[in-house]
Amino acid sequence: MPKPLSGSQIFLQGLWNDNPVLRQILGICSTLAVTNLLVNTLVMNAGLIFTVCMSNLTVSILRNYTPMRIRMMAQTLIIASYVIIVDIVIGAYLPDISEALGPYVGLIITNCIVMGRCEAFARNNRPWPSFVDGLAMSLGYAAVLLIIAVIREPLGFGTLFGYRIMPEGFTPWTIMIMAPGAFFTLGLFAWFVRAKFPQTAEEKKQGH
Amino acid sequence: MVQVDAGTLLFAAIFTNNILLTNFLGLCPFLAISREIRSALGLGVAVVFVMTCTAVLNYLAYYYVLLPLNLDHFRYIVFIIIIAAFVQLVEMMVERFFPALYYILGIFLPLITVNCAILGASLFLIIREYTLVQSLAYGAGSGIGWMVAIIAVGAIREKVQKSAKLPKGLEGPALTLIITGIMALAFTAFSGMIQIQ
Amino acid sequence: MKKRLYSMVFMFVLTFFFAAVVSAVKVHNEERIQTNQQVKLQRIILAVLGIPLHERATNREVLETFERRVKPIEVKQQTLYVGYAENGKQITAYAFAVGGAGFWGPVYGMVSVDPEASRILGIAFYRHSETPGLGARITEPWFTKQFAGLPLFPVEGDKKIFYLKPAGPGKGPNELDAITGATGTSRAVETFVNRDLDRFLRETWKLVKKG
Repeated sequence: MPKPLSGSQIFLQGLWNDNPVLRQILGICSTLAVTNLLVNTLVMNAGLIFTVCMSNLTVSILRNYTPMRIRMMAQTLIIASYVIIVDIVIGAYLPDISEALGPYVGLIITNCIVMGRCEAFARNNRPWPSFVDGLAMSLGYAAVLLIIAVIREPLGFGTLFGYRIMPEGFTPWTIMIMAPGAFFTLGLFAWFVRAKFPQTAEEKKQGH
Repeated sequence: MVQVDAGTLLFAAIFTNNILLTNFLGLCPFLAISREIRSALGLGVAVVFVMTCTAVLNYLAYYYVLLPLNLDHFRYIVFIIIIAAFVQLVEMMVERFFPALYYILGIFLPLITVNCAILGASLFLIIREYTLVQSLAYGAGSGIGWMVAIIAVGAIREKVQKSAKLPKGLEGPALTLIITGIMALAFTAFSGMIQIQ
Repeated sequence: MKKRLYSMVFMFVLTFFFAAVVSAVKVHNEERIQTNQQVKLQRIILAVLGIPLHERATNREVLETFERRVKPIEVKQQTLYVGYAENGKQITAYAFAVGGAGFWGPVYGMVSVDPEASRILGIAFYRHSETPGLGARITEPWFTKQFAGLPLFPVEGDKKIFYLKPAGPGKGPNELDAITGATGTSRAVETFVNRDLDRFLRETWKLVKKG
């Protein structure tokens, strides 16, 4: 049984070494769709961070009381409840963004990261480390998606956060607004990271 | 309320509005399993079945139970429970009647539950206010579309990894994403095909 | 047996707890959500009625302006929004909802006509599920501006009040530019807007004229 990691180690691990998106391409389903606008990405990620952290925390607190056989059901219930709360709050305070996000907020429930961390970490660890782990994972995830959005929005719409930043004569690359643009951007980014920083990729490969 | 007839919707859900290539849903198992075509096919068929049935079940649950009781904000929980229960049922059936397939698919069968595409299809059909028949067509079409995408990209990836010498870092997820991007690009060509009356 | 019982009780309590929390959040935000929907609709109505509202108007400002300048009246199950001038005396326009099946989902909009119902003043679409960059362009100003000034008249037979034809020169007086690449959406919009305009002229307007 390896020595339990310190808080900051867990944090760093989640943020870079184990970065869910770049290393394992996990959980991109729900958020990749909205990365064509930076503000949508931010709101979506805030929702995800809240859900992951709170779910991890709750699952960890209840870990000694949850019967083995029904733990998946319990985790699903907990995660779904937090997602509903996020959905209601976004709908109440940011109605236009809520409409733009559509069903993707609800899809945080099936986001592999949320369930993955509950299963892999939270159910075996104490509340605070679980919370930190959730925070790190979701922030690492958010960082990657923000970078993607920063590439997609200016190229696709010519704006950033709604403010025009490209010169007047710029013809928007509409492909960036649509699905292929997202796939290419993330793919190229993942390629770049894995090529430039292979050491961690090697360590990761051993672990998987 | 929507003008599109079920047949067109089925076609559109497979090609022009492919739930994976256009709506980004269902990528996780996609990236993991698209190694062997046979297992991809088996998984694909299972997904089609689950997606079609849960689309209908969730439609009924939403319009006949949740809305009348003013509990529509619980739809996320109810939908995922219905999906989980149904997948459990399918798992039991496959184990009983197709044991070979059961061993091939292994863990991927219960993982269908958390496949974003399944929940996504149900959520989309509510937002777009489809009728029951349209939901059926949309569910089936989305499932078939997902299957087509996963098999196509998997086949290409297998071929590329066998025959090409790849640059450092490209192997694995990065390659899959780029291939998916090209496929998504190709599928947008279909968007000109849909004609109404 | 005890394990089973414990599991059931655990799930029950957990479900109950979270259902309660979710419901509490919902109830707490209910009013805000309703207000948001109401304000959103009112913004659109004010916009098509030509009543100015500065861009960053708050919810309260929208509600106040609407209260001052618009009077909704029910005419045969349809809500007609009557726009008044600043002095509150003259009627400046009428607005009513239009909507129907789009290509991917229902489309909702608002159209306004002049006090004699002889021309369209404006149109706006506020909810749809059409493809971004294609069908979704119905919300863009270049598309909606085309409708301004369109003459209204009850149509006979197969004729329509307006047609959406492929973009390009050489158009008749009631032919507007459709959206290139969005034939489905364009046809859908042409269908239901014509239908709703016709219904307004034949049924609603007659009752309004009578008083």
